[in-house]
Amino acid sequence: MLKKIALVFVLAVVTLLSLLFYYGTDSTPNNQALKKQLKVSKLLVNPNRPLPQFSLIDHNGVVFDNDRLKNQWSLVFFGYTHCPDVCPTGLMDMAMLEQVLENEKIQVPKVVFITLDPKRDTPALLKTYLTHFSEDFLGVSGDTNQVNQLIRPFGTFYEFVMYSGDKQVVLGQSLPEGVEDYHVNHTAWIYLISPDGEIFAGFPTPHKPKDMAKDIQLIFNHQ
Amino acid sequence: MFNKFKFFLTAIATLLAFNSAIAMGHKHSTNHHHDGVTIDDPWVRSAPPNAPALGAFMNIVNNTHQALKLIKADADGYDRIELHRTQQVGDLMKMVKQAFMPIPAMDSLLLKPGSWHVMLIGPDSVPKEGEKVRISLYFDNGEKQTVSAVVRKGQKMMHHNHNHH
Repeated sequence: MLKKIALVFVLAVVTLLSLLFYYGTDSTPNNQALKKQLKVSKLLVNPNRPLPQFSLIDHNGVVFDNDRLKNQWSLVFFGYTHCPDVCPTGLMDMAMLEQVLENEKIQVPKVVFITLDPKRDTPALLKTYLTHFSEDFLGVSGDTNQVNQLIRPFGTFYEFVMYSGDKQVVLGQSLPEGVEDYHVNHTAWIYLISPDGEIFAGFPTPHKPKDMAKDIQLIFNHQ
Repeated sequence: MFNKFKFFLTAIATLLAFNSAIAMGHKHSTNHHHDGVTIDDPWVRSAPPNAPALGAFMNIVNNTHQALKLIKADADGYDRIELHRTQQVGDLMKMVKQAFMPIPAMDSLLLKPGSWHVMLIGPDSVPKEGEKVRISLYFDNGEKQTVSAVVRKGQKMMHHNHNHH
């Protein structure tokens, strides 16, 4: 019995600590007030959890590293182009968000789409795909290990899956040799990155561009 | 005598009018309710020219008193066509292949982004906005419906709110 209580206690402490770790220990009064006002986003500011050093390739063949996320606000979305539903929906939402922000005369963050499927999503392919949604969107591909390392502080998760007949087989994050026909199940939050190149806020699915624009304005007004 | 004749003529005219109204009504119903299944607003989401897959959406109405299943979709110019459903499990968006789509009796099933959809995989060429894609739908009662789905950006509702330029 005592053992059970101890176990529950330990689990509770671990859960609490990991929540603090993931969802920010930032408690400046300014951000606390902002947190309460945000409708469709969550503040994810956490100075204890900076982005790792990463180096990827953008859709123009230029290096995309930590510096590219600095000195401007960015919106980051992780997905893949073989995605028939979730990713086009997210990208259309962000194209709409760009328009809402422009109409409201609010600064438009740089939209960056980072592929979770670099094997198939080459930079050239990403360019054709993304500029269909907006000329301003930037696609990023690169080394799988770099991507896997980068997504950790975002809390982004993905898994490759394939079908054997009608049965879905989960392959995890590494693809067996020769598997060509697969999908990617993934989380689809949109993240706002602050000009210091760190995660500032996250927008869970589903995304409502007009509400997102309001939250972005609130965030900008607080800076 | 003349009155009788007038009455007779009026009666015939009325009957003729009534008859043609019925005929028209019947024609009308042939178009819309003769079949057990009606498809409303079929559309395909416009996609980049190199999109590996496209989503097709519509509202499927079951006019019968029996539950029906959409068991197959078919269209020319694609490697294959599958029935899918996007499901959110926690924060994870899963795309799950379906053996069929259920349409309850005297009810409907709405295919829309983020939910049920027909997935058109491996297009020979991606259709442009405004073009039409002919999709055949097969139901488990033996019925087959062929629809002409227009390619557009989003759901109709979104078009009203969205400022195109």
